[in-house]
Amino acid sequence: MPALERYLHHVTVDWPSPDETAATARLRLADRFPRTALRRMTHLGLLVGHVLEGADLGPSDAVVYATTFAEARALEEYLVSFPAASPLLFQTSIHPGGVQQVLIPRQQSIARLWPMAGGERLVEQSLLAVLLEPAARVGWVGGEEKGTWLCDHGMASPLAFAFCARVSADPTGAIGRIGCSPEEEGDDPCPSLATLARALRDRQSLSWRSAGTCWRIEWS
Amino acid sequence: MSATADFLPCEIEACDALTAFGDAQASLDGLLAGRKALALTPVLGRAGGDPVPLALRGSLDETMPPRWLGAAQMLAGQWPEGRWGHGRTPVVVTSCNFGVGSLYAYQRERDPRHLEPGAPHAAVDLIRRSLGWGDQLSIFSHACVTSHLGLAHAARLLHAGVADRVLVLSFDFLSPFVTGGFHSLKILNTGFPAPYAVRETGSIGLGDGAAFAVLRRGAAPSGGFTVEAHALFNEMYHVTGNQPDGSGFSACLAAIATATGGRRVWVKGHGTGTLEAGRLEAEGVARQFPQAPLVSWKGSLGHTLGSCGLVELAIALRALRGGRIPGTVGSSGPTFVDSVALEPFGAASFDGAVLTSNAFGGAHAALLLSAA
Repeated sequence: MPALERYLHHVTVDWPSPDETAATARLRLADRFPRTALRRMTHLGLLVGHVLEGADLGPSDAVVYATTFAEARALEEYLVSFPAASPLLFQTSIHPGGVQQVLIPRQQSIARLWPMAGGERLVEQSLLAVLLEPAARVGWVGGEEKGTWLCDHGMASPLAFAFCARVSADPTGAIGRIGCSPEEEGDDPCPSLATLARALRDRQSLSWRSAGTCWRIEWS
Repeated sequence: MSATADFLPCEIEACDALTAFGDAQASLDGLLAGRKALALTPVLGRAGGDPVPLALRGSLDETMPPRWLGAAQMLAGQWPEGRWGHGRTPVVVTSCNFGVGSLYAYQRERDPRHLEPGAPHAAVDLIRRSLGWGDQLSIFSHACVTSHLGLAHAARLLHAGVADRVLVLSFDFLSPFVTGGFHSLKILNTGFPAPYAVRETGSIGLGDGAAFAVLRRGAAPSGGFTVEAHALFNEMYHVTGNQPDGSGFSACLAAIATATGGRRVWVKGHGTGTLEAGRLEAEGVARQFPQAPLVSWKGSLGHTLGSCGLVELAIALRALRGGRIPGTVGSSGPTFVDSVALEPFGAASFDGAVLTSNAFGGAHAALLLSAA
């Protein structure tokens, strides 16, 4: 693994209270979205929309979007809509709805969208995708919404949160940096998506080693 | 709107696919013969519903183990040996639906075994354990352009020096979960798809699909094939629609056109059978590649969703080797543009091919394939 490094320029995390639902999030974030879009947005879409606000991404930029479970509530509701399957819930439950729910109402085209799923190594693999993306500005976005009955079976997140870090190759004015470099020893667990979101929220550094590589997130 | 292409040439060391016809060669043979794998099938399987055109490799109803696991195991017999998922030989897995259909089976039957592959990472972990891969793998899911993302990411891994070889696996098998959803959108109806044909009502067919490619950095040696470049663009105009002026299509096609460098190409389009997107796509291709024949194979194989880009790449490779390119099975004139090729044609007068896919959200993807 060659050494790769990029810089953090803008980081926003939305970590709502544990009892927040899509309905209460709609009230909390109502002034941030067009009313016509608001009523159809999922909890995750609302949170992603909130954190994407200051990202300042343009049509030549890219988004790497990481989520293990995506629109869990839409999926749960779509499943119970059978045999009269709901077209809206079908569309909404399709990965990567969270980002598209936000960017479509804003008519905000982007060059590349890299929606990533995954479990134990999702943070590491999405970090690698960010480091390999040549766009001038890259939104490293992630999040989950809280499921109900799917959560009981490990098929949905028990937490709701979202984060967005705007990343570039330019160190000027950076608030932190992310990267990887060769490291012979060590095989640490990869941080979870929730751990990453907390570290971004609290400006805590993270580092771990795996497969001959040291991965790190550091603050200036 | 504008997009740029990644010029990251990669040799295709191996590539094959599974469709309702069989492997890539069987799929090519079916297409060249003008046969349709699509057949009218109740949209909800055992539970009935409207008959819709599906191209299946088995029953639509969910099975245990899932049908896509067997397909991955079958393809594993075709790809080169390697320590896949370890160190410098990572795996990229792409799908649109993974094992989500099994959650609907659980919803109906309450059999907890259906829960195991329900989440994307859980489905991939089932394949990983079955095939003995390590955990160096990335998972992408971007609806029907998803396998293009897998190939493009693999090219980046190779050119950044992160990997020596990358295995890209893509799969999407149908289930009542998926067919019920597309039927609710009314684009999966009782009609058979006729890609790029001018007609009253648009319709699509859906198909099972799985495919893999093993990529290496750099151009292929003589007799081989190279994926020269990738282009991606996301117009974000509408969840299921495109900019009415076709600018989203044009942005991606213009980017890949810069990579062709004067090569004479034919174009394998997305061509699902929808009317508006089909027209915009055909017109965009005719503008960017005025000399290129345009074909779609989804009128025969059905739309294999997230796997379609890689499935159709594997078939295109077989077609180039055999010297005959299948036409647009299922369509007849008139078509949106004159360049739509309804019948097979010879590959000898072309230097390469442009392969495209599109997806919900106005996502566009294209790659340039060339023969050494």
